[in-house]
Amino acid sequence: MIKKVITLFTVATMLFSCGSGEESLNDYNDGFNRASLLQNIADNIILPSYNNLNQKLEALEVSTNNFTNFANQNNLEQLRLDWLNAYLSWQNVEMFDIGMAEEIDFRRKMNAYPCNVTRISLNISSEDYDLNSSNHYSAQGFPTLDYLLNGFTDPIQVYNGPESSKHLNYLNNLVQDMLTNTNNIINEWNSNREPFINSTENTATSSLNKLTNDFIFYYEKGFRANKIGIPAGVFSGSPLPQNIEAYYHNLNNNTSKILALEALTAIKKFFSGIYFDNTSEGNSLKNYLNHLNALEDGDTLSNVIITTFNSAETAINDLDDNLMNQINNNNYQLLVTYDKVQAAVPLLKIDMIGSLNIDVDYIDADGD
Amino acid sequence: MTTRVKQYINSYTDSSPLAVFRIGFGLMMLFSIVRFWNKGWIEKIYIEPSFHFKYYGFEWINSIGEGVYILFILCALSACFITLGFKYRPAIITFFLSFTYIELLEKTVYLNHYYFICVLSFLLIFLPLNSSFSLDNFISKTKSISVPRWTIDSIKLMLCIVYIYAGLAKINSDWLLQALPLKIWLPSKYDLPIIGETFMQENWVHFAMSWGGMLYDLLIPFLLLYKRTRTFAFLLVVFFHVFTRVLFPIGVFPYIMIISALIFFDAKFHKRIINILKIIIDPIRKKLSHINIQNVKFNSNKKIIWVLTIFFILQLTIPLRHLSYNGNIMWHEQGYRFSWRVMLMEKLGYTTFKIVDKDKNQFFYVQNEDFLTSYQEKQMSFQPDFILEYAHFLGKHFKNQGYDDIAVYADSYVSLNGRRNQRYIDPEIDLLEIKDSFENKKWILPLKK
Repeated sequence: MIKKVITLFTVATMLFSCGSGEESLNDYNDGFNRASLLQNIADNIILPSYNNLNQKLEALEVSTNNFTNFANQNNLEQLRLDWLNAYLSWQNVEMFDIGMAEEIDFRRKMNAYPCNVTRISLNISSEDYDLNSSNHYSAQGFPTLDYLLNGFTDPIQVYNGPESSKHLNYLNNLVQDMLTNTNNIINEWNSNREPFINSTENTATSSLNKLTNDFIFYYEKGFRANKIGIPAGVFSGSPLPQNIEAYYHNLNNNTSKILALEALTAIKKFFSGIYFDNTSEGNSLKNYLNHLNALEDGDTLSNVIITTFNSAETAINDLDDNLMNQINNNNYQLLVTYDKVQAAVPLLKIDMIGSLNIDVDYIDADGD
Repeated sequence: MTTRVKQYINSYTDSSPLAVFRIGFGLMMLFSIVRFWNKGWIEKIYIEPSFHFKYYGFEWINSIGEGVYILFILCALSACFITLGFKYRPAIITFFLSFTYIELLEKTVYLNHYYFICVLSFLLIFLPLNSSFSLDNFISKTKSISVPRWTIDSIKLMLCIVYIYAGLAKINSDWLLQALPLKIWLPSKYDLPIIGETFMQENWVHFAMSWGGMLYDLLIPFLLLYKRTRTFAFLLVVFFHVFTRVLFPIGVFPYIMIISALIFFDAKFHKRIINILKIIIDPIRKKLSHINIQNVKFNSNKKIIWVLTIFFILQLTIPLRHLSYNGNIMWHEQGYRFSWRVMLMEKLGYTTFKIVDKDKNQFFYVQNEDFLTSYQEKQMSFQPDFILEYAHFLGKHFKNQGYDDIAVYADSYVSLNGRRNQRYIDPEIDLLEIKDSFENKKWILPLKK
């Protein structure tokens, strides 16, 4: 009896497994070189992006010093320009909320907007604050610099008036803090590069899984919600124009749209593994999905994702150059743009995560 | 027929398998509670979330905040009492009630093995697991070396039901004809030593494991019941469950199944285990040796037999209730739970909610993380009853915020077993107009392909 059962068992198993092997739909064989993907992302995207940010912040430091010495219109214009350049550079870094950046809450320290004007004024006058406390995240970083440089009706007077040294001190402290944090993170990246690249296993804390989860989180929150959704009123019912990125600078310039487009470019480049400073291409999520032969409606999933990114880009390009005007004159178009941006979210969160089978082990599961 | 039934009810066997099962069950429960606590899951699952998903019909179960720790302590203590066979009946009742209450507090963490423990501990209330080798023997100064066969057989029957229904559930085209979801899961185990980058990547392995798993579930009860195949079957049980433990994050379930399968062995085997245990606890036994324990006949209670008959009829019918719904059960999940459908599907979803203010003709979307933890959001996104329950919660929340006349629509996308994502919930339907019931949920869009 037992022998019969075992024989039946094995024969049946072998029979069915062989028979169906030939007509398999997808070959999921995973022979992908994850380390080379991680190496490409680290060496050609993350580190160059950070180094670029560092350069831009150093320039910002110089113009801050000049402005501190002579708070005249000329120096202010230079300071504003360097601030904008650094802010643009930042759009390439924000998605890498990993390692020390995550530990020190870098993302929120650098770009929590809208900034809190009451808190900023209080900090300036009291000169007593802890930039590492989460209460002060909205009183530092790029949005606060935006307020300090573009938020006063007569800035030259503010920086030459009775409270000028307090204002200049705050400005200098913020720039210094941004630069120090960036430096620390770059140092950590340089010393942790190897472990990062070698962490190729499939666990919740391995590099690729973290990187992918962070990327999706950034796309959903930092990009989709913060830059488009929240100002358009997607989550509040009525538009919130004061919540656009670089609100004060945008009053007289077309900043917010440029920042959003820069961010989307960074997103596309990360997905396709394109180097930060040239057009070479290395291993990326795109390649990995192609390797896994992930299909979507007869097209490759990676193509569908890129097409969706592109249609979001077109929609943003078609907006008024000034997002504030867009909201005030025709918010509907911004809502339509949001839908185009949103369309990538299910693709990333369901189809891409599903294909990569990224392990997110919160708790026990039995697969249901 | 009735005489045969009567004969069966009155036939007796050695009680040592019950004693061993009691000890094994008690220790496993104690271990799994300590493990759960140690991992910080009590906090994460029962305390942190501001909103809890409740089972249909049990919405009245109140979340008790930090009080849930008391339940866990009760649960752990009763597991100790069960192990010792001390005040067995009150202990197993306490265990069943506290464990079940914990499960009812949060639907998000539904697992078949937690349900198995609820069901099994209910069954154990009616079985004399303390009839021998227990502290209760010293208190009552009686023991029963023999117990009716049905007491042991009912545990076996419960296990057989679990395995056979689990096997039947695997007879579907995804599992057998496409080796899904194993084809998705196994290749991602590339970091396992030796087999990770070799076997786990092979198409034939995915199919062999799918078919093997199905046949294992269907055949193992018979292999365990049949004396000549029993040892082999048990080795198979150990191998199968250890292997699944290595592959998947399924917690203590494999160990529970391994320990439980010991019940199929005969009394001789269990006596040997008890003898080993007796040597270990020898010093304590010496101190108690002055107490005279009388062997008494254990009498079957007719009422209990009726309770168990109804219990098993329910256990046999509940997993079949999905037959009254059309469509792919893995897609609509009506009748999916409490049916021993284990490791059957890879499902991912993304669901957001649009709140429409009908008075002002305005709308906005909800950011789920305002109300749900990431795990809750993940689970909610692909299970229709979660989506409905959450929609009603949102409705209530925003009505309390001063919106009078609102509608809640779901923007929901789900992917099943590697298919591309599809719209899941009819986006035109105001979910506030829908009441949960056993009726066919027509607002779930059918699975294409």
